[in-house]
Amino acid sequence: MTINTFVPNPISPRVLGHRRSAIADQLQSATGIMLGCFLLVHLHFESSILLGKDAFYHVVQFLEGGMFSATGHGYPWTSQIISLIMLVVVMVHAGTALRRFPIQLGQWRALRNQQQIIKHSDSRLWFWQLITGFGLFFLAPVHLYDMLTDPSIGPNLSAERVYHGGLWILYIVLLPMVVIHAMLGLYRVLLKWGWINQRTLLRKLTMIAIVYLLMLGLASLAAYLSIGAELSLPVTPYTPS
Amino acid sequence: MSAARTLTFSIFRYDPQTPGDKPKMVSYQLDETPGMTVFIALNRLREEQDSSLQFDFVCRAGICGSCAMVINGLPTLACRTLTSKFEHTTITLMPLPGFELIGDLSVNTGKFMREIAERLKLWLHPSSDDKDIHILEEPMAPEEAARLYELERCVECGVCVSACATKQMRETFVGAVGLMKIARFEFDCRDNRSADDFYHVIGNQDGVFGCMTLLGCQDNCPKDLPHMQQIAYLRRKMTHALAIS
Repeated sequence: MTINTFVPNPISPRVLGHRRSAIADQLQSATGIMLGCFLLVHLHFESSILLGKDAFYHVVQFLEGGMFSATGHGYPWTSQIISLIMLVVVMVHAGTALRRFPIQLGQWRALRNQQQIIKHSDSRLWFWQLITGFGLFFLAPVHLYDMLTDPSIGPNLSAERVYHGGLWILYIVLLPMVVIHAMLGLYRVLLKWGWINQRTLLRKLTMIAIVYLLMLGLASLAAYLSIGAELSLPVTPYTPS
Repeated sequence: MSAARTLTFSIFRYDPQTPGDKPKMVSYQLDETPGMTVFIALNRLREEQDSSLQFDFVCRAGICGSCAMVINGLPTLACRTLTSKFEHTTITLMPLPGFELIGDLSVNTGKFMREIAERLKLWLHPSSDDKDIHILEEPMAPEEAARLYELERCVECGVCVSACATKQMRETFVGAVGLMKIARFEFDCRDNRSADDFYHVIGNQDGVFGCMTLLGCQDNCPKDLPHMQQIAYLRRKMTHALAIS
């Protein structure tokens, strides 16, 4: 039998407090909330196409400051500015969230091993948040870059982008990824800071929101494809009659 | 009365002390008896079928936390798990992941708990002028005592550590048990440490800011401790400590 000598360890530098950990955690939460809320608004605005071309035209006209422009159509550069801001927010969010990624093979194996042994639904949900987050790391900048370089939005112009530009392929992958990631992220951040403790209700609402937003997004995408298929090139921007 | 079921226990077997031994799952059959717990079943298996089977227990009443293991995918205490709650007759038993394996279902949770206690200084730190042990302690408000008792119920079983994917990926993460104990001393009016002192211990990536809110601790804790609320509280408290420092 061996006896281990008890030697208290001094606090290692590793466990000393780091301001950057707290700041990174706050930044990740803040940018996540911003992006999640933006997605909710964004999907509803773009789904106004389901109410007709006129409805979508007026939403775009309002958001691009149509009331301040001489032509009444607004300024497409507002979309560029918003895209630029969102790109910065996405980068900050991705940068701070990268701390959570199992970047080493050993960490990935430990995660998979634990998931095989222990059945836990919230950990599994987080796993999907991780996978979708990884996908968004590549896909979200593509969408934002597209909006930065070609900010023209409108019933016909957007339909052209989706149908003739072939961007429906990007959106069909981006939509489920961003919806799942954002809704699970909002669910988690509300619990993380203790702002809401009614977890069962919150989880139900999250699942309802995921299904609702997916249906809304898919219906809108179908509408743009349908409009795009009827358009002949070159496309003329839509103007209400 | 229906006939007793014959249960099949599929148990992880591996003894790191035996050269050449390989991890494997071994099945044992046992007739179920009324009120049988997994703990009772394991004792019967060891007495009647295989005396080399290794697992831990002390109290048999959910107090010592020694018999924690993964039962059909859920980390929990064997002594508090009735076999009758399982619809299927096959029960799979695995050791808690994330701890040093002693053998079969026995893991060294004590080593981990001691290291955490040393690292986070999980003992009462009275004020420096409070050295006379003959002076009676100030009475504590019943509400505060009840609040402390609620957190003091942790039995250090290690379930929260195994159920936490963050802890599995990041070995240096203190886990819910460490954070719960810090919260316990943070509430204690006899402890002289300030929020800033606690910040230096858990205000980092290995502490409260490393928690990803996967809630494995909250959902699996056999003592139903409020891990989610306590970690959120500490997170807000540590953030506030940063803001005013």
